[in-house]
Amino acid sequence: MSGHLGAALAIFRRDLRIFLSYRTMAYSQAFSAVTSLAVFYYVSRLLRVSTFSSSDKYFAFVVVGLVILAVVQSTLVLSGSVRNELVAGTFERVLLSPFGAVRGALSMMIFPAVHAIAMGAWTLTVAAVFFGLRLHWSTVALALPVGIVAALSFSAIALLIAALVIVFKQAPGVGMIVVGITFISGLYFPTSLLPVWIRWASAVQPFTPAVNLLRHLLVGLPMSASPWLSLLKLLGFTVVLLPLGAWVLSWGVVAGQRRGTIIEY
Amino acid sequence: MWREPRVEPIDDAPLIPGLFAVHELRKAWGDRTILDGLELVLDRGTLNWVGGENGIGKTTLLRICAGLILADSGVVDLDGLHPRRQRASYQERVGFLSAGDRGLYARLTVRQHLELWGRLSLLPRGRFRAAIERMIARLDLGELADRRMDRLSMGQRQRVRLAMAFLHEPDLVLLDEPLNSLDPHGVELLSACLAGVTGRGGAVLWVSPAPPSEISFDTRQWLEDGRLTARPRR
Repeated sequence: MSGHLGAALAIFRRDLRIFLSYRTMAYSQAFSAVTSLAVFYYVSRLLRVSTFSSSDKYFAFVVVGLVILAVVQSTLVLSGSVRNELVAGTFERVLLSPFGAVRGALSMMIFPAVHAIAMGAWTLTVAAVFFGLRLHWSTVALALPVGIVAALSFSAIALLIAALVIVFKQAPGVGMIVVGITFISGLYFPTSLLPVWIRWASAVQPFTPAVNLLRHLLVGLPMSASPWLSLLKLLGFTVVLLPLGAWVLSWGVVAGQRRGTIIEY
Repeated sequence: MWREPRVEPIDDAPLIPGLFAVHELRKAWGDRTILDGLELVLDRGTLNWVGGENGIGKTTLLRICAGLILADSGVVDLDGLHPRRQRASYQERVGFLSAGDRGLYARLTVRQHLELWGRLSLLPRGRFRAAIERMIARLDLGELADRRMDRLSMGQRQRVRLAMAFLHEPDLVLLDEPLNSLDPHGVELLSACLAGVTGRGGAVLWVSPAPPSEISFDTRQWLEDGRLTARPRR
């Protein structure tokens, strides 16, 4: 077990080292987060949104949406990473190791998730210090474990997409999935504003309960249902989807080995 | 907890001689048959060469032996281990060098590559550091150890790739055109690594279009029409 943990951490270290080797990347990402905050801060001042009692409430709503979007994107980046590794021939090294391709792919999500959580903490800090965001300090610490569970449930979808990349060499529409998630999970606006015919979609995926719960914990926005119910839903999605994602990926690897798509780039 | 999928055996494995063997191996890419009932046995302590024309299926054979791709039918056996059913144990005992210069991270150093590969190979803590230092010494990578891959020459990169293939002391080493970009000193270092494998009872399978003059092989076979022959017909 310690060997597997060591291998997972080695992949995390590899990704961290490569990230740090691009010296300006961290600064540019930190600056980009500040720019996004500034845009939404002034948008919240320009517009009166009837659903929110004040501009500050809408700003708080969007800031948490931005943080969660970063977590969503960090998990979905897996398919791109797997494709890059297939092209570079480095994925076959993972496949040909005792550690294996599926554990390797799961480990490839650690660094992006940690990075997204760090960027989320940075975004919240800047929003609180420079843009007057009021954090709900009594529950902020709980957001971390909930964020980790949310990232795990999102990872299942990333694993499914990675399986497509291995079998078909492409996974078109990842960008569309991100847009769809922002739309149906209420990252930028409440799901109650969605047309009735699409509102069901906000209830059958893990993003909506994660978004609602994290907003409640980070900035104290009220929830329409019990926080415990949202937590239960999130855990349920994670417990079901994550093993399913790993299972599909493992069959994707076998299919890629049969078809040769795992090597022929 | 995730577990690897169960894969049913293609055939019942017969009693196979040698350290490594393939039996009745078949593989086709679409309509094109690449391997057609191929038989191969590698004895312990031997250095084996398989050659043949470009595109004849040498790399496909090597990739199947490595467990990188799966055959349509047939048996692959490494000392009683199946590449899918006992995947982790199988991979612990196989070292693989692909053709070309792929499989490296431009922005990681030589030592970081070996550390990563050592961890993925699940080397025990007690062997981990010693294995890395041994390969750095054996492939004369000491001065390059802290240099990034994108700052190495092609021949130096090939030595790193070889170090990764031999790092975990595999019993079966599979090499696809390993002389790629190597200078005479690099060939000498590779020869010493090969002697190390055969000396401890392992086997080496080397594929290349023609037999290299620098290396003396115990067996030489040609791949033709999906099978191995002792002499080329063409």
